[in-house]
Amino acid sequence: MNFPLSFWDISLWLAVTAIILLITSELISSYYGKTNILINKKRLKNAALITGILFLITVAIRIYGIITLP
Amino acid sequence: MSKAKKETTAQSSHKAPAVFTIKISPIRLLSFFMLTLGLIALAISIVYASSILAFIGLGLTFWGTLTLYITTEKYVKQTLLDPSIMPSLANLDRILTELEYQGKGIYLPPNYFKDLETSKVYIPKKKDANVPKPEEIQQKADKTFLKNPEAALVIPPGSSLLKLFEKTLGKSFTKANLEYLQQNLPRLFIEDLEIAENLEIQMKPAILAQKVADSVSAIQFKNDTIYVKITNSLYDSVCKEARSLKHICGSIGCPICSAIACAIAKASGKPVTIEKTESTEDGKVIEAYYRIIEE
Repeated sequence: MNFPLSFWDISLWLAVTAIILLITSELISSYYGKTNILINKKRLKNAALITGILFLITVAIRIYGIITLP
Repeated sequence: MSKAKKETTAQSSHKAPAVFTIKISPIRLLSFFMLTLGLIALAISIVYASSILAFIGLGLTFWGTLTLYITTEKYVKQTLLDPSIMPSLANLDRILTELEYQGKGIYLPPNYFKDLETSKVYIPKKKDANVPKPEEIQQKADKTFLKNPEAALVIPPGSSLLKLFEKTLGKSFTKANLEYLQQNLPRLFIEDLEIAENLEIQMKPAILAQKVADSVSAIQFKNDTIYVKITNSLYDSVCKEARSLKHICGSIGCPICSAIACAIAKASGKPVTIEKTESTEDGKVIEAYYRIIEE
């Protein structure tokens, strides 16, 4: 009974989710005028940034792996 | 039946039955449903080693948690804003008109009061009255109507908004300067509080102001002018309606103009007047000119 997703699968999933969230948070930003979406935009922005950072961490791990591999 | 007994019976009849009621909004319910479904899918994916189920589970868990996290704040309709503000502004205008106060409102800085967080506006009775000295006000700060010289010391319409600005920014304006306001107020208005679509603050130093105003008095030559342009604010209809109130629009200012005046007075540590306010026909663009008075 193992978790069926590998580290790279999760990295890809994080990338797709981060892109969706970052684009959404940018589109509903108050700087482009008022929108009628009643959600906490600050929290959405934070969630998008955190997901993006998590993806970048997985990329960093991958690069570290490639460099240190004999 | 005695009076006390009757009261107890009356009170107990109004008591709600002791039943626990949990109010869950449909969005929260949907979020919990997604979260639960996601966790179940993840568990099944481990048992059957299915990567598709794992992706579905991961997605549902993530979006369920996210929708719980970014739930709405409490919002009120904008139409409720105007009726709740206008009567108090109209009242203030009526009092000042009936008492024949003709002076321009002067926003006093914190050094005029014992409590440094106080914001008050000084309205002299005569048109060309001088700015009072801090010692004069400190002694009578708790009074509304002052004598020798006759003046009114009132809480400005924007004082609560100012406190909200400070709370949101996490810094008292007494510890800030004008550059701090210029940098942070636009972000506060547009992004944090969503009061306006755009806010522009321009400082016009004394030398520039001198060139602009040729026929102004010698006192005005020394003073700095601050120009503020607010685009599409929540208070546009309040500002539009307040135009008919002589003491509000030209002297004390509508809540938003008043809050900015309070902020400038606090940050500069000098008395401030609202020189002029202009707005477009539809009230979408408000332009205000503030003058910092050198003591």
